[in-house]
Amino acid sequence: MKYLELALDTAKSLGADYADIRIQKSQTEHIYLRNMSLKDTSLNQLHGYGIRIFKKGAWGFAHSNIFSEDAVVKTVKRAYAIAEQSARIKHGSGLQLATERSYIDSYKTPYCIDPFKVPLSQKVELMMEVNRTMLNYADIKMALFTLESRKDEKLFGSTLGTRLNLETVYIEPMFMATAVTAEDSQSRTYSAGGQAVGWEYIQNLNLIEKAEKIAEEAIMKVKADSLGPEKRRTLILDPFHMALTMHESVGHPTELDRVLGWEADYAGISFATPEKLGKFHYGSKIVNFVADNLLERGLATAGYDDDGVPNQKWYIVKDGILNEYGTTRATAPFIDQKMSRGCNRATNYYDFPINRIPNLYLEPGKEELSPQQLIADTKDGIYIEGRGSFSIDQHRINFQFGGDMFWEIKNGKKIRPLKKVLYKSNNPEFWNSVDAICDKRFFQTFGVTNCGKGQPSQRGRMTHGGATARFRNIRVGGSQ
Amino acid sequence: MKDKMKKIADFVRQNCSADDFTLRIFHNHDLYSRFAQNGITQHIDGKNLQINLEVAFDNKTGTALVNQNDEASLERLIKTAEEMAKLNKPDPEFMPSEPEHKLPKLTPPATATRNLTVEKMVDGIEKCVKNAEKKSAKISGLSHKQINQYYMETKNGFNGYDELGSFSHSMTMKKGGRETKVERSCKDFAQFSMEENLQQLNQQFDSLQEPKQIKYEKMPVIMRPQAFLKWIFYLIWTYQRREADEGMNPYTDKIGKKFFGEKFSLRSVIDNPALHTPRFDQYGLPTKHIDWIEKGVIKNMQADRYYAKQKNIEPASIYNVVIDGGNTSEEEMMQKVGRGIILNSLWYIRPVDMKAGEWTGLTRDGVLYFEDGKVKKAVTNFRWNEILHDATKRILALGPAQQIEYMAQIPTVLIDDFNFVDVTTF
Repeated sequence: MKYLELALDTAKSLGADYADIRIQKSQTEHIYLRNMSLKDTSLNQLHGYGIRIFKKGAWGFAHSNIFSEDAVVKTVKRAYAIAEQSARIKHGSGLQLATERSYIDSYKTPYCIDPFKVPLSQKVELMMEVNRTMLNYADIKMALFTLESRKDEKLFGSTLGTRLNLETVYIEPMFMATAVTAEDSQSRTYSAGGQAVGWEYIQNLNLIEKAEKIAEEAIMKVKADSLGPEKRRTLILDPFHMALTMHESVGHPTELDRVLGWEADYAGISFATPEKLGKFHYGSKIVNFVADNLLERGLATAGYDDDGVPNQKWYIVKDGILNEYGTTRATAPFIDQKMSRGCNRATNYYDFPINRIPNLYLEPGKEELSPQQLIADTKDGIYIEGRGSFSIDQHRINFQFGGDMFWEIKNGKKIRPLKKVLYKSNNPEFWNSVDAICDKRFFQTFGVTNCGKGQPSQRGRMTHGGATARFRNIRVGGSQ
Repeated sequence: MKDKMKKIADFVRQNCSADDFTLRIFHNHDLYSRFAQNGITQHIDGKNLQINLEVAFDNKTGTALVNQNDEASLERLIKTAEEMAKLNKPDPEFMPSEPEHKLPKLTPPATATRNLTVEKMVDGIEKCVKNAEKKSAKISGLSHKQINQYYMETKNGFNGYDELGSFSHSMTMKKGGRETKVERSCKDFAQFSMEENLQQLNQQFDSLQEPKQIKYEKMPVIMRPQAFLKWIFYLIWTYQRREADEGMNPYTDKIGKKFFGEKFSLRSVIDNPALHTPRFDQYGLPTKHIDWIEKGVIKNMQADRYYAKQKNIEPASIYNVVIDGGNTSEEEMMQKVGRGIILNSLWYIRPVDMKAGEWTGLTRDGVLYFEDGKVKKAVTNFRWNEILHDATKRILALGPAQQIEYMAQIPTVLIDDFNFVDVTTF
């Protein structure tokens, strides 16, 4: 804590208009098993601090891994000098920061068993059993399992007087079986992404049963037919698949920095511009997208963001209409929003915080409806499970998605597995084609841990969710 | 820093009790100036140290990483890696660390790159902003200087040190629906000319008007180097010998055979001083010239040490990219096919079918339609789904290879019947 106070005092004495410091220790354990061979068993620890100085409407940021009074003061001075250089080329009269008050608080991801206290041998044994289960099927030629656990301990202080002590944890198991025949090779994956939980989550997953299903479906998939030529069809998408579609087609377009053109050179901009707020029909009337950084198990649930703004819950799309954005203290004033929604996050101590997608989910349907009932109610369509190929333009309008497992539906029944299915759609066609969403009993979340954004690129994380939903009249066909 | 790295290595060597170890120490100093909409939005200065220790007891391995170099941190590093290895299961594919190797000569970072300051980088950005303002346009981009040092040592006697300095600059200029980009990187900042890059940006920008939408169909494309390189990066990712032999990529049973087009050759070279050539790979193996694809024939594929030993081949990885060029100009390419599309860049490339080698993506940063051998208009972007090795069989002509990055030298290519499958609204 003494370095935190020293940094802020130094920044104030230099004449910073605002400053904050993030002292962050990040531990990541990564285990990667391929066909019973351990390709990586590593425990990484990064410890350092990043200092942001705001001066004359511009930012300077410097970081260091050296903990000494001298190094802290030097780092503050470097950040200050950089802010002065940034101010040479600023936006108009300079950036403004949305109003915020000070907080003295702490937050810790709720969990029972610390994943870092579980012996490595226990984790590897479980992973090997899963791998063995998949490799027991003769057609499965490759079995992969990756297990990542991460813990971030952060001390945050700002010249507003905020002092925060934050600890977040997540675990991400992912395994994949690849079936190979003389003609083809197809994979099937189990993944619910990362979840902000302890090891107890893994204990309750019943991974062996899941491994059998994944292996069997990989074999089914490699022997399945392709779909054939593209035509307009009905799609039913499971929550793990929809996590990706909403991430790309709703999450990114509603990050305010993209809307403002701050990502124009790299990740791109957004079609969802401010004049569309309150008017644009993003989806059908039953489509509600909730930003919820208070979501249980959510990867963006951290108490506060890296602006020192508390986590919140709000509607991005309400009754089908574009309602609001995800914002930061520096972006919110551009649309006359007085307070930030708290979406400024950095991945490591040496990263500059950027406008990130919050936890974002499709609100479940209000009427009782199960996935089985939805399939029974569909005459002719395609049911897609899990994540596959994905690609979207830099304005976030036109996209093409694949999936992990595909089933043809005829007269209310899943009649056969398929492979190599792709669909093409765009905003606003896609979310406006939703005519049914299953109810809250079937709500599931998927935690994204590899959202690439920013220069230098950062691997951001957030959670998406939903219940199985139906989309009408979408272009669906087989690949080449 | 090199002395500090050696001191860290001394400590690890003296205190690590494992049967085998590989120590890798990375030190980076980066300056990033990011700008958008004619103003600087983000500005970073920082040094990073990462000390990675991989140990083995018999064939049980463990790896740890820290970013502090005090004795307590190094002791923790060794203890963590050793404990992980002891608790781990045996790895049937374990390979011992490399012995001493004779390495190519060290090329230190260029003086101009090393001496590049924040002030000078901001001067460059100021030129970009003034240029955009003259055109009533908005410019966004990134300037990045990096100085990297890398030290590696193994229990079996390998000891190597390497350095890399580079400068990269990218910029996107946009006004209404007109949007284009130039990106370049080089080892020596003295070789970088902001004026030349702005001239190219202006040429591209001026050639674009408000784009019109045209029907998507299979058409010839003139793919400029930046576009082609983005796709080639994905080829590198999947160009693996083991996956080929196991039936999981398109190259199964194709090694030594003509599988790409006659006009397509790809290699990694050690004799081009402008290209980054690491002295050794991640295991300590010295870098060598490798022909990957020669006139369409698969000569070599990437393989790790374990798999290479099984197959009695040399372990190899792609460390820089040189694609042979030709001498056809863009004008000659347009005349050759009459009608088609010119692409500045590709975007959001992802696999559609790994076994088939099929990829999807979009066009970006300015698309031109030509007819009767002449540019007619700017058009909106397209989606494409294509099989890369098949597309190389449809290469009709190549321009001269250009160095657009410190990792790559690549030509403009003319590809026939490129498979556009959708069109965007902008």
